[in-house]
Amino acid sequence: MKQTIGLISLMVLAAGQQPVMAHHSFAAEFDIDKPIQLQGKVTQVEFMNPHSWIHIEVTNTKGEAEQWEIEGGTPNTLFRKGINQDTLAIGTEIVVEGYQSRDGANRASGRNLTLTDGRKLFIEGSSTP
Amino acid sequence: MQRSVLCSVFGSAFGSLLLLPALAQAQSAATASTPDLNGIWQAMNTANWELEAHAAEAGPIASLGALLAVPAGVAYVVEDNIPYLPAALEKRQANRLQRWTADPEIKCYMPGVPRANYLPYPFQIVQGADTILMSYEFADAVRTVHMQDPGPAPAKSWMGWNVGHWEGNSLVVEITDQNNQTWLDRSGNFHSDKLHVTERYTPMGSDMLLYEATLTDPEVFAAAWTIRMPLYRRKEANAQLIEFKCIPFAESVLYDAIGR
Repeated sequence: MKQTIGLISLMVLAAGQQPVMAHHSFAAEFDIDKPIQLQGKVTQVEFMNPHSWIHIEVTNTKGEAEQWEIEGGTPNTLFRKGINQDTLAIGTEIVVEGYQSRDGANRASGRNLTLTDGRKLFIEGSSTP
Repeated sequence: MQRSVLCSVFGSAFGSLLLLPALAQAQSAATASTPDLNGIWQAMNTANWELEAHAAEAGPIASLGALLAVPAGVAYVVEDNIPYLPAALEKRQANRLQRWTADPEIKCYMPGVPRANYLPYPFQIVQGADTILMSYEFADAVRTVHMQDPGPAPAKSWMGWNVGHWEGNSLVVEITDQNNQTWLDRSGNFHSDKLHVTERYTPMGSDMLLYEATLTDPEVFAAAWTIRMPLYRRKEANAQLIEFKCIPFAESVLYDAIGR
């Protein structure tokens, strides 16, 4: 029991102090009950440790442009799967499946990424459950 | 007098004897046709303060007086001045006004090329036939110079994509795909992510390299320009790179804004 409380308080502490771009567990940042699929154009890619971030512009149902940030794995993880600055050049149309952030921001942990040539790649955001 | 006699008598005889093992070692490390650049090197100048000629000026903290003052320096730019495009020159001036807060060195970012080579910290060259490692004391930055074509860079990075070849006695390294987050000195000289650097390391005797870096960047510079300076071998018997992991020193600057 004491151990459970300890664990919970640790998680709360971690969530409360979490910088947006830091290393974190899936549960601290993203919501398994908010699966999303987004289609948009790449506006920026940050290949950096511990997580890469793919920025895309998405047109919502009202026809407005929305900016989304999709979390992916480490640069090495992505390179080995064939994702690099050429496959994700600015302007590239992609479809991303993932899970939205707990706070409802336009941010998601990426799971699958589909390119227009049909290639489907696992982009491995925070260890997706 | 005594000293000069000693030098002239023993200098040639014993000096060459002492050099023999070092030469043998050098030849084993490099191929017969290429020089040996292995060792710990460091610039000894004020280029990191400012690449163009500059006068001394007061430091950022008045109470420290001369302690952190900016030392004067000559131009390390062959053309004297960096040929900025007009808009880029304005940005450089703006950068300069915030040099004590905006310089990426403050944040312990990896320094990029060519700045890494004239930071006031040593760096080490470890020379192999297919790859040459350059390891920097500052922020543990490293770069691998590929002597065989490694294909295109997978991503932009702090220290860029380094591809080298030998031209006579010189190691020539082409660096592309650096990000746009680094500066060229503490005075706000900068570049974009279109920067292309051509470096040339030419041995001038056993303990000195002539270092030249030619920079082109269509978004920032109107023409190519060149940095030129000597790099000196660190000769202490116990010369070595020591850790300078500076992120802990920069934590407050980096993370206070988002709540540590």
